[in-house]
Amino acid sequence: MERDGHTFLVGQLRAEPPAAIGGLLEDHLTHLAGAVQGARRRQAQQLQNASDEALDHIPRLLRGPIKKIVG
Amino acid sequence: MTAPPVTDPPASDSDTTAPPDPTPVAGRSPSERLEVDAELQRLGRLLGLAPGELGYLADISSADLRALRAQITQVLFDGNGALARLGAATRLLPAALTASLTERIFGPVLAARVAGTVEPGRAVEIAARLPVDFLADVASELDPRRVAAILAAIPAPTVAAVTRVLVQRREWVAMGSFYGFLPDASIQAAMAETDAHALLQIAFVLEDKSRLSHVLEIGGSVRLGELVACAEAEGLTEQLAALAAHLTPEQAAAVTRTLSLERPARLGS
Repeated sequence: MERDGHTFLVGQLRAEPPAAIGGLLEDHLTHLAGAVQGARRRQAQQLQNASDEALDHIPRLLRGPIKKIVG
Repeated sequence: MTAPPVTDPPASDSDTTAPPDPTPVAGRSPSERLEVDAELQRLGRLLGLAPGELGYLADISSADLRALRAQITQVLFDGNGALARLGAATRLLPAALTASLTERIFGPVLAARVAGTVEPGRAVEIAARLPVDFLADVASELDPRRVAAILAAIPAPTVAAVTRVLVQRREWVAMGSFYGFLPDASIQAAMAETDAHALLQIAFVLEDKSRLSHVLEIGGSVRLGELVACAEAEGLTEQLAALAAHLTPEQAAAVTRTLSLERPARLGS
C-alpha cells in the first residue's frame, strides 16, 4: 500500500511534526520517517538481545522475577 | 535532491565539534546557525545518523528542530514501556551486578535511555561502579530532562572526571545539552576541567541558554574575561556578542566593553 511521507512520519512520531518539518520534500519526509523507524527497530532489537543475554548472567533464583517484570 | 539512505549508526568517535561558522543560510544570525548545527548533531546522534545525512533539515529553524527532537526523544525514550520495565528490574539486582551488565551487555545508548526510569539514588549507586570513560559515553547519549534528578545527585568529583573525558573528546554539543542541568557544585567542578576554548564552544551550543548567565556567574569575572579573550583570539567575537542577550546586564556590559575596546567596528555592525 502506498503511503505518503507525511503520513509515514506522523505514524512514527505518533504526533504531527512542527509545520516547517511537514513542509519538507516528499523524499526527505520519507527519509526522516524511515530514520525514526530504523532507530526504533534497532533499539527494540538491541534491548531484546541485551535482555536475553543478561539473563544468563543473573542468579537463577532471580531470573523468574526479572522475566516477570521485563516481560 | 534524493534523500540519502538510512544507514547504521556512525562510529562513536565522529567529530562533534561545533564549527564556529556553519554554512550560512540567508538572514540567519551566527548564533542561530550554531544552534541549527548543534540540533542537527543532536538529531543525528539520536537517530544513529551522521549529521550530514540530515542536511535537508539545515534550513529549518533551531526551534522547530528542537521540537522535532523532543518528539523523537519521546518515541525512543518512552516508547512501549520496555525501557521502564528494564529500569524497574534493576531494583531486584545488586548494584555491582547491574553495573557490570550495563557496561558489558547493554552499552551506553541503552543505558542512557533506561537511566531516566531508574530511581536516582539507585542510578548513582550503579554509576559509582562504572568506569569514567563509559560514563562519558552514556553522558553523550542522555536526555538531561529525563535524568535531572540523577545529574543532581552525581558527586561533583565524578562530574569533574567525566567532564575531563568529554573535553578531551571535544563533545561540546553533548556538554551543552546537560551543563545547564547540573547543580552549582557540579558546574563548579566541571568548570575547573573546562578551559576557555571549551567553555566558549559549550556556551555557543548550550541548549538552555537561560542558564548561561548563571553558569558564567559561577565561573566569575575571571572566567568571563578568559572567554572574551579566547573569542578574540579565535575570531569568534561576533558569535560571542550574539550571546549577550542571554547574560546579566553586568556580564553583557563586561563583554561588550571588552569587545568594543578591542574591535569597535564589529559591535557597531
